[in-house]
Amino acid sequence: MITKNILFCFLLIGGLAAHAQDANGVFRAAGSPENPKVAISWNRYYNYDGITDICKKIAAAHPQLAKLSSIGKSSQGRDMWLLTITDFNKGKADSKPAFYLDGNIHSNEIQGTEMALYTAWYLTETFKDITYIKEMLADRVFYIVPTINPDARDNYMKAPNTPHSPRSGMVPVDNDRDGKLNEDGFDDLDNDGHITQMIRKSPTGRFIKDPNNPGRLMQAKNDELGEYEILGSEGIDNDGDGRVNEDGEGFYDPNRDWGWKWQPNPIQGGAYKYPFSIIENRNVRDFVMAHPNIAGAQSFHNNGGMILRGPGAEEDASTYNAEDSRIYDAIGKKGELLIPGYKYMIVYRDLYSVFGGELDWFYGGRGIYTFTNELFTSYMYFNRASSRGDGGSQDEPYEFNQSLLFGDALVSWKEFNHPQYGKIEVGGFKKNFTRADPGFLLESDAHRNMSFCLYHAYHMPKLSVEEISEKNLGNGLTEVTAVIKNERLMPTHASQDLKYKIERPDYISLEGATVLAGMVVENRDLNLTSEQKVNPAVLEVANIPGLGSVTVRWIIKSAKGYSVKVDSRKGGMVSKQK
Amino acid sequence: MKKIFFCVPLLCLVLHVAHAQEYRNHAQLSQKLKNLEASSAGLAKLQSISKTAGGKDIWLMEIGTGDRASRPAIAVVGGVEGSLLFSQELAVGFIEKLLAASKTDSIKNLLATTTFYVYPSMSPDASEQYFASLKYERSGNTSATDDDRDGRINEDPFEDLNGDGIITMIRVEDVTGKWKTHPADARVMVLADAAKGERGNYSLYTEGIDNDKDKLFNEDGEGGIHFNKNLTFDPPYFTPGAGEHPVSELENRALLNLLHEQANVFAVVTFGPTNNLAEPWKFDRSKTTARVITGILDGDSKLNKLVSDLYKKSVATKDAPAAAPAKGDFVQWAYFHYARLSFSTPGWWAPKFEVPKDSAAAKKYKTNEDKNTDVDFLRWAEKEGLDVFVPWKKINHPDFSGKVVEVGGFKPFVKNNPPAKSIDKAAADHTNFLVALANIKPELELLNQKTESLGNDVSRITVTVHNKGLLPAVADIGVRNYWVKLINVSLTLAKDQSLVSGNRVVVLNNLQPGESQEISWLVKGKGSATLEAGAPQTGFKKINITL
Repeated sequence: MITKNILFCFLLIGGLAAHAQDANGVFRAAGSPENPKVAISWNRYYNYDGITDICKKIAAAHPQLAKLSSIGKSSQGRDMWLLTITDFNKGKADSKPAFYLDGNIHSNEIQGTEMALYTAWYLTETFKDITYIKEMLADRVFYIVPTINPDARDNYMKAPNTPHSPRSGMVPVDNDRDGKLNEDGFDDLDNDGHITQMIRKSPTGRFIKDPNNPGRLMQAKNDELGEYEILGSEGIDNDGDGRVNEDGEGFYDPNRDWGWKWQPNPIQGGAYKYPFSIIENRNVRDFVMAHPNIAGAQSFHNNGGMILRGPGAEEDASTYNAEDSRIYDAIGKKGELLIPGYKYMIVYRDLYSVFGGELDWFYGGRGIYTFTNELFTSYMYFNRASSRGDGGSQDEPYEFNQSLLFGDALVSWKEFNHPQYGKIEVGGFKKNFTRADPGFLLESDAHRNMSFCLYHAYHMPKLSVEEISEKNLGNGLTEVTAVIKNERLMPTHASQDLKYKIERPDYISLEGATVLAGMVVENRDLNLTSEQKVNPAVLEVANIPGLGSVTVRWIIKSAKGYSVKVDSRKGGMVSKQK
Repeated sequence: MKKIFFCVPLLCLVLHVAHAQEYRNHAQLSQKLKNLEASSAGLAKLQSISKTAGGKDIWLMEIGTGDRASRPAIAVVGGVEGSLLFSQELAVGFIEKLLAASKTDSIKNLLATTTFYVYPSMSPDASEQYFASLKYERSGNTSATDDDRDGRINEDPFEDLNGDGIITMIRVEDVTGKWKTHPADARVMVLADAAKGERGNYSLYTEGIDNDKDKLFNEDGEGGIHFNKNLTFDPPYFTPGAGEHPVSELENRALLNLLHEQANVFAVVTFGPTNNLAEPWKFDRSKTTARVITGILDGDSKLNKLVSDLYKKSVATKDAPAAAPAKGDFVQWAYFHYARLSFSTPGWWAPKFEVPKDSAAAKKYKTNEDKNTDVDFLRWAEKEGLDVFVPWKKINHPDFSGKVVEVGGFKPFVKNNPPAKSIDKAAADHTNFLVALANIKPELELLNQKTESLGNDVSRITVTVHNKGLLPAVADIGVRNYWVKLINVSLTLAKDQSLVSGNRVVVLNNLQPGESQEISWLVKGKGSATLEAGAPQTGFKKINITL
């Protein structure tokens, strides 16, 4: 314990001491902090301890911009870190329109964590000299949870896995229904920490080794015999039921666990017991329920270069109406420009039709405009679209590995004696390739995806009391007309929110004078109004539309020293003194 | 006439008090369960699986001998609807009667091969309203809810305007109203049907004041979340009582967590509003072909019929009203999402009133042309001497100054909770049913085991795994659900034995009632080996083999 503490202190001091380069030795690259207080290498990945360390350093270096807290413990007891990023000197953090950002819900889809951390780092490090960021943090707040699956993230990194595993969290499930838990998972036959492929020489095999890229197994020509057969991922039949790797780590899908149109596992593969039955998701749920100021959200997955929005399920198509689709389209299309190679898509229409996704609950259950980005795409191998599902060459990743990674991403074929299959060969891509961004591309991909989030966050509601005008009605009475403006794309209530009254109305109140009557002005020119007979000083408005305004009116006694105040859950609080 | 009206309520007040004393509040019910556990000689084990938002225990009573988790089990769930106090008494009555009979050979044997998980009261926060100083039918727990979603919590509750301690209705004489009195009994209010030339002359509201002046009466009182609306099958999103999302409540989560662990449950029997025991669910292909299944599957509908017939042997189902399931309820969750056979009954319903054949006696009843069930219920209650109605009486109401306003109507709880004297017989009948259901459980046996020597130390082991129950190991709805276990047949060999052919684990996807499957292995070696077959919901059978 003592040694651990000493070690920890050493790391902390070491980390802080090492942070800044000599200011005389650097020259600013446009758009990046030239001498950040917290120096982080963005060309590698971080396990849970690494994430914890980075979060602590950011919070320690920028106390007025970043606060670190935990939204709860994972199933194995790890704190789920939350960085709250805003200008804490301006307004109350939890009353500002909020942007929620998380990564790594699928434990093997790791780079969302680094991209979330990059966002926190960038916002805090550039606050002092980029006006756009300073203004952004003045009137909005970012809730950043770098990983919402920390247990299985560490499993991915520390235990043998494929690029696709575990995906699940670490709570065991009896996937083959034989009464035993996780009794037949992968076996790392060559002990290298990567689960690769097993192949075997076979007189009737349909595959050959690619003569140009021997690491790659390719289909033999239609009229030719091949040399190899594919046996699957590294593993043995541990439980003697005649099947290999049929009940490994996990397995459930944390992104089929959310409380909007949830369906059970026979209908929706990967569903666990019921919505939010996975503790990590429940922690997110509790946090979101306690923060109704969240107006926009983003979750980071991998891969394929997609900017996804709901509906997740075809059966839920009617949940998204034209009004909200217009807003999604505007943000999504901008994303295609900002992140070359990424396409704006609708989950059920363009990917697959699934129930119980995170983005479905955020929008369907909470009325929050939400995107999921599938980070990294084969477009990035050679900055061309040839391998994007248009019959492009399958050897691009091999060429990329050979010429740009110098072979680091591949395990060469090696012979192994398998208890069930006999003499086999084991090899293939390592777990950190094909889905995770290769190191030198990580920072660039992170920056572009962050810029997409910032565009989204910029367009959360921004309210102001645009106008207060008075008209003397005689008898000591004054008619006060106020215009509340929303200068950004998003309304204070999405149409899904309005449909189910998910969030309460916005309150527009007049304080400091006796209010005799109050009304919402529907048409100022034609004097069409609708009166609120009860409690007229606090007018309840269902919505303040994006790029639009709401006009209200009061009849008051005496017209000195009053103020008009707007209190909107997703639009924040603003007021103006008259 | 007047005299009779005067006397009947008085008489019934006495009866009503007696009846109220016999339904148990949460503390009494908890004590009763503790007593039953204490006197069960280890047959029953009581545990609190959660506390509600209101701090009340959710109880589970496990009943059975030995390793209960490895025996086929029936889950019995009461109080899914908080205003049905009868349903929790039925569950407690079942525990009591089963334990009382546990010394008889038949029940003793049954409890050695079957487990009962009884969750008698799933809505204790709501049920407690029956015993509160202000009585009204409540379904929600004590989680704070903004029922009308206007940003204010509990701003428009009921008010006891006539000071009788119960919430009934108010009716207001109003030419713009939609309601009128029923021609057969002017106490009963019905909607006027313009298509039949009827005009409304009353407005009808629940008893209270429009506190927030939004023209809605008592739309946001203390109400909380309903256990029976807070589940995942077709949930009624964002309606009052449904919660912010399905399974948001502690009691719902606790029950679902535990049932998922109780892999041995083959059937769930709910005491609640739905009745698919008097009238089994019917197969409708159009509801089973889409990705999201909304109707019972073919094979399971036949089992529902079988079990319904079994029910009718123990419980008289004459006059049982049609009682369809509701959005987000437990009985549909248990079938469609938990993937077990799911049965439900309210356990009691008011018999239909028969107008006396004798014409003199029949004279006092006006013809109930549209067979209005409220009119019928009042006549039945009167015959039984039950006081179920608060006569309409004028009051002054602040929201309707200058108008004729009366308070009155059916007393809360009376329509679905009979006098407590009915509990004992109903509990006995339902115990008989549950025992009968347990006796047709899926149950495996290992038959025709033989060992043949093929020479040179190699033997062939053959066994037939047979389901001797009348229910399948896996219901149709559970075929693809990973929470339902499959039959695991394992051959465990000694050190110096080895398999020549066959797998040491064979998983059978299902065995229908009466179905069997033969399995064989070739084994090299001598000595003894063990063969075990089973799934939690079928029980396990084990035999020793000598090679």
